[in-house]
Amino acid sequence: MPEQNYKEYLAARLLAENRPVTYRLLSRAVKVHVNRGKQMLYEFHRNQNAKKPRSIHATYLITGKKRTSEHTNGLNGKDGEDAVMQDSPFPSSLPGTQEPDEKPVSTTSIVLVREEELEKTKAEFVEVTSIHIYSLEPGPIEDLGVLSLCNEEVATKFTKEDPLERWQLYGCIHNPHIKRRTPKSGIAASKTTSKPAAKPTAKPQPKELIPAVQTDSKPSASNTKTSTSAAPKATLQRSNSTKSNPPKKTSVGDLFKSFAKTKPPKPKESEDSPMGGMSEDEGEDSEPESGAPKVDEAKLEAARKEKEARKEELLKMMEEDVDMADAATPQDTNADEVSQDANDDAPLDSQDKAEPAESEEPVVAAVAGGRRRGRRRVTKRKKVKDADGYLVTKEETVWESFSEDEKPPEPKKLKPVPNSSAKGGKKGAPKGQGSIASFFKKA
Amino acid sequence: MASTEGNLLRGEPFQDPTTSSPRNASAYKPLHTFELPKGAEKHYQQQFADMYFLRLAQLKNAVKQKAAEAWDDFELGGEKARYVERVLDVRQGELCWVVGTVYMEMGLKPNVLDDISKEHWIAAPPPRETYVNPSGQDDMMLEDESGRLRVTGETVSAQYVTGCILAALGTEQADGSFQVVATTYADLPQQPERWKGEEIKKAPKVDSKGGKAKKVAIISGLGISGTEDDDLTLDLLLEYLTGEASGPPDQAEAIQLSRLVIAGNSLSHASPILSREDFAAKKSQRKNYGYDASSYNSTPAEKLDTFLSQILPTIPVTLLPGDSDPANVALPQQPLHPALFPQSRPFVNPPSQSKDTLEGFDPVTNPWEGYIEGWRVLGTGGQTVEDLLRYVEDVEPLEAMEMMLRWRCIAPTAPDTLSCYPFQDDDPFLLKVCPHVYFSGNMDKFGKRVIEGPGGQKVLLVAVPKFKETGQIVLVDMESLEVELVEIGVVAPGS
Repeated sequence: MPEQNYKEYLAARLLAENRPVTYRLLSRAVKVHVNRGKQMLYEFHRNQNAKKPRSIHATYLITGKKRTSEHTNGLNGKDGEDAVMQDSPFPSSLPGTQEPDEKPVSTTSIVLVREEELEKTKAEFVEVTSIHIYSLEPGPIEDLGVLSLCNEEVATKFTKEDPLERWQLYGCIHNPHIKRRTPKSGIAASKTTSKPAAKPTAKPQPKELIPAVQTDSKPSASNTKTSTSAAPKATLQRSNSTKSNPPKKTSVGDLFKSFAKTKPPKPKESEDSPMGGMSEDEGEDSEPESGAPKVDEAKLEAARKEKEARKEELLKMMEEDVDMADAATPQDTNADEVSQDANDDAPLDSQDKAEPAESEEPVVAAVAGGRRRGRRRVTKRKKVKDADGYLVTKEETVWESFSEDEKPPEPKKLKPVPNSSAKGGKKGAPKGQGSIASFFKKA
Repeated sequence: MASTEGNLLRGEPFQDPTTSSPRNASAYKPLHTFELPKGAEKHYQQQFADMYFLRLAQLKNAVKQKAAEAWDDFELGGEKARYVERVLDVRQGELCWVVGTVYMEMGLKPNVLDDISKEHWIAAPPPRETYVNPSGQDDMMLEDESGRLRVTGETVSAQYVTGCILAALGTEQADGSFQVVATTYADLPQQPERWKGEEIKKAPKVDSKGGKAKKVAIISGLGISGTEDDDLTLDLLLEYLTGEASGPPDQAEAIQLSRLVIAGNSLSHASPILSREDFAAKKSQRKNYGYDASSYNSTPAEKLDTFLSQILPTIPVTLLPGDSDPANVALPQQPLHPALFPQSRPFVNPPSQSKDTLEGFDPVTNPWEGYIEGWRVLGTGGQTVEDLLRYVEDVEPLEAMEMMLRWRCIAPTAPDTLSCYPFQDDDPFLLKVCPHVYFSGNMDKFGKRVIEGPGGQKVLLVAVPKFKETGQIVLVDMESLEVELVEIGVVAPGS
């Protein structure tokens, strides 16, 4: 399969784009062993130049031992040094330095050369142990430095593979002893990896999420069993929706942004959030980068569409949820229980958090008999020692339940609020919640 | 003319690449001799005099013993040589020998007082290649706790540098100077057998399967500057180390490498303290006070990081800082900060697990010592040798390295002309155990030599050339301690 690909790739790159290509870049692009890539370059070079002489230029990499003239030069230099040494006062006091090392140090030369100078350079070698085409160019190049751009491409574009697995495909030397930490903070990864690179790490996340959500939703469902009609319905439906949705999502960040009502999987979240942070970065990063790699554009386009579709879906879901919340309001006591449950969860959270809530944005509020309760988004700063002993500070947004039983004078003012907030929540929530937040600052 | 196996100038049908064997594990045990205390425990209020005191106290006995062996029966004109405890106790006309620290008073040696009065100069003097006064009026002194003794005599000229401990035999002249007949020094300390070093005896020995040869590659002076012209040789180096360049026979050679040691100056202009030239250039440009973030160029550091992150999956790396690297300037230079290597950092062992990264990326101090394949290896970024060579004339770097080992002090000129941390209780620059391999980075050209000590010690000295200028990589065979070179080059178009 790559046998056909490589011709297209080389033709496109050399003849259409007029850009040089090295064996390494070719092997990365068509996913073959580097040694095979070198032979492909040779094949292409031969074919093209047979069709149209001198249409493609090549550079060669020669490895071997150079002619002895250089060696003797080196030796002469050394003899000279030795003479100086004998004049200097050192040897008198030093045993064992009198006889210089007669054996010349064996030197292997690796030389990169254009095809124009190939024969001349070859003549300098006594023994050529290996020779191969290093790169092909559309025409003779004056500055070999341009080839390093190809290598830069290799370094930046083809990072998606696990570096420790690269050897299998490309034939780098395998070292089974090297260990690599998977970056946990995501700082390193987000900076360097492009979108496809981040995907493999993001993948397992939905799987993790499902059990988390399930375990979380179960107790709440069992608790509410005793209570009457509407509330259990709401919670059950809620849990249903949470169950069905997370697997579709790729990023946690989005999930929490758009889910105003659902209960977040709190205990698991601390583990998941770094990845969520990373995939958020990924989303930001992919856009400016998408211009550069042309091959991936189609993929990116598809990904973007998918994302939008998901967003819409979520928006719909949001509206449903809000309606449900409204339906639940008449039952104070039951609903209180629910929020009590949520509060029970809160201490779990506070164990982790080192610093208290940073900003509070109450989003959904339901008023029942002058009492307001709901969930608000809280940005918490958390210091966690990770598995490697580094202290990691994370900022994460957490949904927190709250109720305001203790504030009797408020209701008058607050009465008109819920409607507007519910409406505003529908539209405002996904975009930006700043205005609502400022509205609730006092509460 | 190329061997058929290595000739990849072949077209279809493509040959299936042979699967190569994996790299061998590197038996590696870094020592933390040169690590400074961290944070608030690092003080700079101490006096440097303590270092000289320590040096003399620790080496006096060894030197005395050596001198006693040599001169006990020495007679000159019927007079027996006598040992004198303190240099000021030397009596005129009496044949005797003393032990003391050398101090060189040299015409061109930088002087702290000169630096202070520098503002009065019209133009600063050019940086010194040598401290030797061309008119030959340099004085040599021998000092201990009691005082100083001016030393004269043919044998001492141009042999010693400030800071080395020495025993001198001679008589005091009428003018008060000490006429020296002979000198001696401590010579090589004890050397452990391979695999028998104190620190690795207990460590589990990595069995080398089938006794396959392992080599260690040493390079220095990558000199990554961020300009484009040095990129290609660096790429070729990368491809050589990962075993991608060349044909199967040469790739098989590259598999034998089990570790890469980078001996300083990986970046070319990254020292936090500007050199005299750089400073002058910058000063003339404009006057800006404080740190100027806009002038910082992160490209070289990023390039080094990318380079390392690409070779690290296949070969473990030990990285020493050099004088142009962004580490502290005073010796011992501490490991380069991991923040410089966002991509290579995952290959460093997390601090919670262990201090040593045995396989992977190990940023270490300069100088550094440790065990590789059972051999004790000592290496520096080259500043110590460079500075020592300014004191003397017609001395090769290898000779300077040899002298340092024999004086048992690998940085004798610190703290006189080489900045260093003011050690109080222990001077790590004193050689307590003789290494098997001693390398020094950033030398002008490659060199190697095997020296022998009085107790049968054998040390391989390697002067590692600057990669940027020579394209040379030094390979040391860890079974036979044979040295070979790999040279990477690009033929300039049109040559």
